[in-house]
Amino acid sequence: MRKITLSQAVNEALAEEMRRDPTVFIIGEDVAEAGTPFKVLSGLVEEFGTQRVVDTPIAEPGFMGIAVGAAMTGTRPVVDLMFGDFLFLVMDQLCNQAAKTHYMSGGKLNVPLVLRTNMGATRRSAAQHSQSLHALVAHVPGLKIAMPSSAYEAKGLMKTAIRDNNPVVIFEDKLMYNDKAGVPEEEYLIPFGQANVLQEGVDITLIGTSSMVQVCQAAAEVLAKEGISAEVIDPRTIVPLDEETLLKSAKKTSRVIIVDEGHQSYGVTGEIASRINEKAFYHLDAPVLRLGAMDVPVPFSPALEDITVPTPERVADQARRLVRGELIHAA
Amino acid sequence: MSAAKKTHNTEDFLQMYRQMARIRTFEDNANQLYLSAKMPGLTHMYSGEEAVAVGICEALRMTDKITSTHRGHGHCVAKGADFKEMFCELLGKEEGYCRGKGGSMHIADQSNGNLGANAIVGGSMGIATGSAFTAKMLGKDDVTVCFFGDGATAQGLMYEVMNMAALWSLPVIYACENNGYSEYTRTEEIAAGSILGRAQAFGIEAHQVDGQDVLAVNALTEKLVDRCRKGEGPFFMELMTYRYHGHHVGDINREYYRSKQEERDWKENRDPIIRFRSWLVAEGIATEAELDSLNADIRADASAAVEYALQAKYPDVSEVDMHVYAA
Amino acid sequence: MPLDVIMPALGMAQQTGQIIAWHKKPGDAVAEGDVLFEVETDKAAMEVEALGNGFLTDVIAEAGADVPVGEVIARISDTPESRSSAQTGNAPRPIADASKAPTPEEEDNAVPEGHTVIMPTLGMAQDTGLLVSWQKNAGDAVAADDVLFEVETDKSTVEVNAGIDGFVAALLAEAGEDVPVGQSIAIISQSKPEKTLTRSAGASGSAPPEASEAPAEAEVPSKAPATQLSLQPSKQKSSLAQAPTNGRILASPKVRRLALEQGLDLASLVKVGHPQPFHVKDLEVLRALPRREAAAIQKVTRHLKAGVPRQGWNAFADWAVATAGVHEEQALLAGFAAASFGKVPGVVRLETPEQTWVYAVSSLRLGQIEKVDPESVVDLCVHDLRSTCIETAQLGADGAPVLSLTKTDENLILTLEFEDVQMSASKAISAFSDFAGRLKQPLRHLL
Repeated sequence: MRKITLSQAVNEALAEEMRRDPTVFIIGEDVAEAGTPFKVLSGLVEEFGTQRVVDTPIAEPGFMGIAVGAAMTGTRPVVDLMFGDFLFLVMDQLCNQAAKTHYMSGGKLNVPLVLRTNMGATRRSAAQHSQSLHALVAHVPGLKIAMPSSAYEAKGLMKTAIRDNNPVVIFEDKLMYNDKAGVPEEEYLIPFGQANVLQEGVDITLIGTSSMVQVCQAAAEVLAKEGISAEVIDPRTIVPLDEETLLKSAKKTSRVIIVDEGHQSYGVTGEIASRINEKAFYHLDAPVLRLGAMDVPVPFSPALEDITVPTPERVADQARRLVRGELIHAA
Repeated sequence: MSAAKKTHNTEDFLQMYRQMARIRTFEDNANQLYLSAKMPGLTHMYSGEEAVAVGICEALRMTDKITSTHRGHGHCVAKGADFKEMFCELLGKEEGYCRGKGGSMHIADQSNGNLGANAIVGGSMGIATGSAFTAKMLGKDDVTVCFFGDGATAQGLMYEVMNMAALWSLPVIYACENNGYSEYTRTEEIAAGSILGRAQAFGIEAHQVDGQDVLAVNALTEKLVDRCRKGEGPFFMELMTYRYHGHHVGDINREYYRSKQEERDWKENRDPIIRFRSWLVAEGIATEAELDSLNADIRADASAAVEYALQAKYPDVSEVDMHVYAA
Repeated sequence: MPLDVIMPALGMAQQTGQIIAWHKKPGDAVAEGDVLFEVETDKAAMEVEALGNGFLTDVIAEAGADVPVGEVIARISDTPESRSSAQTGNAPRPIADASKAPTPEEEDNAVPEGHTVIMPTLGMAQDTGLLVSWQKNAGDAVAADDVLFEVETDKSTVEVNAGIDGFVAALLAEAGEDVPVGQSIAIISQSKPEKTLTRSAGASGSAPPEASEAPAEAEVPSKAPATQLSLQPSKQKSSLAQAPTNGRILASPKVRRLALEQGLDLASLVKVGHPQPFHVKDLEVLRALPRREAAAIQKVTRHLKAGVPRQGWNAFADWAVATAGVHEEQALLAGFAAASFGKVPGVVRLETPEQTWVYAVSSLRLGQIEKVDPESVVDLCVHDLRSTCIETAQLGADGAPVLSLTKTDENLILTLEFEDVQMSASKAISAFSDFAGRLKQPLRHLL
């Protein structure tokens, strides 16, 4: 199978969906000729024109609001939010308007829009361009949240998101744009709410989102050499969440670590850990552990930034301790 | 009262009168429901501003869109909604426009092009502009009217979307209902400079009109809608009007921000329904007796709808998590 | 048609409004817009205007009254006459200033004065007490030492004395009612009451008077200090309670569940000094512990041995697997064992050196023997060692009775091992000989 970058995969997904459905359009800052700072959208304006690849002023709430209204009246906007950190600017339009319109109208109005944005630290971009804010929007009923972990995932999830009749927020890890993966030439979709078991194992389950899936896989490799068999699972979408697959694995291995790049407190790791605790408690042989980003604004200095996010070494270390039955928080 | 255009016939004028009377009657009933503790939550009365909603919506087609505000019953009625579904929604009943999930501040009636009221002041400005974006992108000649109050001119979103609407010549009309008060504060205290000037700064053609004169509002809107359809939008209207009630139904004690004398003056001398009624009679379009009979019909219609809504069933509890996500 | 005058909902979150003053008297003419009354809401005092013309009538809420919003407090009628004075009968019940004297009707239900007896707090964490019975009737004279009532708490039924001399003036709860502790349930008056009151605790329209006096004296060990109570040994049997350690055993939820299901006692691991916290892998250690260590109570393992000719069983098993829908011979063995030992429905584990099956036997029909979750709790274990050279097996009982099958040239050798707590010797003998009989002549015993 050919290998393409995550960035190319997103570009292909958008192009295919825009060819398929004339109501799909892209709106955001410097999405047309510039193709975004990450060059993810390069070439699209040449094919689809400025009517469907719409450059906006630097006015996130404004173009977000326009996208909501456009979605309510018969189009399928893909909003490009240059950095995930700018989510804080569009909260009213995303959470008060887009997320609630279908419910508040008793099911009469739909808001089929995609908000494409990014996440991920260690790009030396400091506290306002490095955040991973997916948990923030996952808290709001009415939004779906997809977190692709590879080029393959990014393409399949993006195509599903565009066809979904709800507001979907897709978080791409900006450090993965150049990561290549096998992506078939032929069309495929990845359904929401179906976790991907990347690797089966019996001793411990490592649940990772987005780039943390790679981290979990790297940890699993290290553990395998020590005779510890780790199962690696990517939930793919955190809303809807494939609870069944996660619980099944937790019951099988009896030990779980959840790894996510959002801040550890009040985050995705806590939510998944809590569900496992509630529904698989009597199958657990060890406490469910969370590994999120440190609860600090992302620092600029490489010396500091690198220690704020989970690494394969830390995941493997924690996994080892759980499997050995070490006393973790047992005092 | 401004001269009516020749294109209007008797039925058009009677329809404007009927719609204004329907709004007033709807609000009187809604107020009674609130006062008698039969209506959950609270509501914001449109009484006094009827000529704005009716003058504008009578210039629109059913397929044209509007976005509405927390003070939205008038827009909803003017755009063609039925009393029964509206009262059911106000009372949280299953047969309401939103199956009881929206209530007074979120009534949406997409069948008549009403994209919904909005409980965030200024919250619908992006939606209205996006609706106009759809029309332009899909090559439809729909026009969208964005209703908002003078208070919403303080929201930043307005400037962002007016900028884009002007850049992209979108078919949207921003209709600022200036009733003189931003909640419990006089507009002069919250708005520096000129309201029209805000739109003009983006190169948007802006007009001020007497919002108590339904014919003037209607004539201006017809012109602007027509130009919007030709791609000359967006436009901005400032409609000078007045709300008879407080900011919300519970805002009774309001002499600290406006005098009873002022309220009396608007009600007695500038009431849009009384003025239009006199004009209709003077022009020989309708007699007092005909209009009285029309009013009686509307009142009977409203009380039947209220009675129906009071008896109607609440949504089943199984609906609570229905419609969080679309299929 | 008269207009109702209602207490309006004025503020943002207002439940009631207090009438400060009426500006019109009953019978006064009123015009629309006239100020009718003043009301105090959560925000401020407000004047409320008449909504129509007429005469103020049927004023039923006086100044000072706190009225729920939406309630009718007067009417504006076409004539100055009150409708209620015209005996229409549908005038609303008057709403009085709370400080005013009660109506005669209210007086009838008024709680007499006297010493208040409350539902006492008897147990450790008791919210309510079940009133079992009254030992006195309303109007009876009582002495301080007389038993007044019986109450059932979280522990037991106790008799409660009156605690004061006097007369039972009111019984404010009925036998069988669960009454919150601290709630008044009786009134004892000093003099013989002219009138007594008996009602249920649920029916107390007005809140029960807060008991300011000391509660009735109860002859129960309720006054024992909490520490003393916690030292009382619990009658409940539990493996943890028998553990010699005072502290908790640190163990994972899963190992606790498996130990419980398999009848294993984690305390035995503590006794031998196995390091905590315990996890599933520690169960192996626990199982390997000598029985006298593992068993907190004395268990005796017994065993029985039998031999039957092989040939009957072999022929039958071949037939059953080939034609009767039985998936493997082991399922048949499981079914026969369950039937003989009275474990239908039940779960049987069948082990060969190569493989383990766990079957649920839901009926004696051959097709109704299903494989289930290998971690299920089993009622019986069967070790099928016929494929090995082992002739004698004595493996010990393992949470459930164990049957072992070995073979000689001609015979099947059957061994049963069980603990005395699992079944009696006579039961074991009859079940085991039944099982041996089934293997000898399977067709005769089928079904």
